[in-house]
Amino acid sequence: MRPLAVAFARALEASAVFLLLATLVFFALRLLPGDPATLVLGDQASPSEMARVRAQLHLDEPLVAQYVRFLRGIGTLDLGDSFRSPGVPAFRRIAFALGPTAELAGLAVALGGAMGLALAALAFGPWLGARRTWIEQGMVALAASPLIAFAPVLTYALAARARVVPLPGDPDAGPLGLVFASALLALPLAAHVGRTARASLVELGRGQFLTVAAAKGATPGRVVFVHALPAASGPILAVIATQLGALLGGAVVLERLFERWGLGTLILEAYASRDLPVLEGAIVAAGGLFVIVQSLAGFLHGLVDPRGRS
Amino acid sequence: VSRALRVLPLGLVVFLSILGAWIAPSAPERLEPRLAWCTPSALRPLGCGEAGVDLLSVVSHAELSGIALALAVGLGGLAVGTPLGAFAALARGATERVVGRACDLIQAFPTFLLALVVLSAVRAPSRVHLGLVFALTAWAPFARLALVETRVLREAAFIEAAFALGLGRARVLARHLLPNLLGVVAVQLGSAGAAIVVAEAAFAFVGMGPRDGVSLGGVLDQGVLAMLRAPHVLLVGAVSVFVTSASMLLAGTAVLDSRARARPRASFG
Repeated sequence: MRPLAVAFARALEASAVFLLLATLVFFALRLLPGDPATLVLGDQASPSEMARVRAQLHLDEPLVAQYVRFLRGIGTLDLGDSFRSPGVPAFRRIAFALGPTAELAGLAVALGGAMGLALAALAFGPWLGARRTWIEQGMVALAASPLIAFAPVLTYALAARARVVPLPGDPDAGPLGLVFASALLALPLAAHVGRTARASLVELGRGQFLTVAAAKGATPGRVVFVHALPAASGPILAVIATQLGALLGGAVVLERLFERWGLGTLILEAYASRDLPVLEGAIVAAGGLFVIVQSLAGFLHGLVDPRGRS
Repeated sequence: VSRALRVLPLGLVVFLSILGAWIAPSAPERLEPRLAWCTPSALRPLGCGEAGVDLLSVVSHAELSGIALALAVGLGGLAVGTPLGAFAALARGATERVVGRACDLIQAFPTFLLALVVLSAVRAPSRVHLGLVFALTAWAPFARLALVETRVLREAAFIEAAFALGLGRARVLARHLLPNLLGVVAVQLGSAGAAIVVAEAAFAFVGMGPRDGVSLGGVLDQGVLAMLRAPHVLLVGAVSVFVTSASMLLAGTAVLDSRARARPRASFG
């Protein structure tokens, strides 16, 4: 298929996934047992209060009309006002939360990619000799370690004991706090990227072109970084795309751990206070972010690696 | 190391949890504010957490219910995903492509978002609700594996022979394909179970766990709160999450190596 057709198919699929998620968000709250108005107000609310919330959520309209209104609201970025902060549009609160999370996740992808490539180069190149297998085993162990277990322990060791990074919840954490949180989030990603990159390097090593490059006098570093790694970029992009969901989930855990403001904190707060417009909007926004980055990675993969186009 | 031995750590975790739940000095919900954040001692082997909950008791009960949840959801995912993936590969064409792509997407999707959507419609989420939420996506890795494996098996002579004998797709699937798939697909049980244990802990950590607070994530949450005052709480939580997840992953690899013996085996009938 031509690149344009691939891009079109990707965009179509991304829109379908996005629409499916938005539909799920809409129907989960309206079709599952339990009245959304009761969820917001609790059992003790007066009938007039209930009527007000039902009107605000347009629960008195037919389901189809509600659904159309919901989709139009997403299209025009207007899902009504937040319940928790009256007068503030839900999407404005979401827009303020998107930035910090994008910073955290973006930096984590950059750090994780860089660390993963370095690990793969060390595990493949000649520099470590027989100790290369240690790197490989370390990556397997790291990929199997849950973020939820090692992030608090590392934070305790580095923030509370060694005092080299700011403590969780420190309002003056600044850039160092962001880098530390991103580095924690990047560790599992680095292990996955490293393992995939090493596997494709080994695969590439069976071909002739690396031997040719070495025979022409290229240093081992040049062979790995200039000749081999670009050829392995397809699978690396693909593994980053499959790790995006875990990254987003990890970002929520780390925002909670470090008491950082962000999309995860907003979603949890909206969940706890049943702020439905914010909750629905934030979930749809996070899902949209995931879909966009995922199809971007897939598209790049197709551009870089001609074998991916089938 | 013998393959059977790889199940041993998981068995040990279960045994120690049962033992811990039995010898623990108090029930996991019992509070003793006088002992809040106390360090480990002979009386309280793992110390106490917030408001004086006995950590040994909480961790033991949380491990047992976490492992039970992981097993139930993992086996459920296996039971749904395997026939689905095999069916898609037998049907070929558009069905195969759609199911394969759906599996890829679901495996990459932030499960957390999906869970929030469902949990927000429930007044007080319980462990059963969490299990149902995990089950929404748990079938995907099994289906993916079954699909890939069936792509190979569908070319095998015994499948061709079954079709040539005039058997329907459902019968070939049930009698000939599934028995050959189970050994391969079961490999996924370990990592699926570990993922569920970790996800349950993560949900409880961010405050969406079961209301009774008996969860490894709850212990971690307390540990982070009292990081400076009582670091043992954090360590107990982190180590138990790590040990449970690692022992499940290891137990999963016990199946992995036995697949060579289990395949290929035609079933007659």
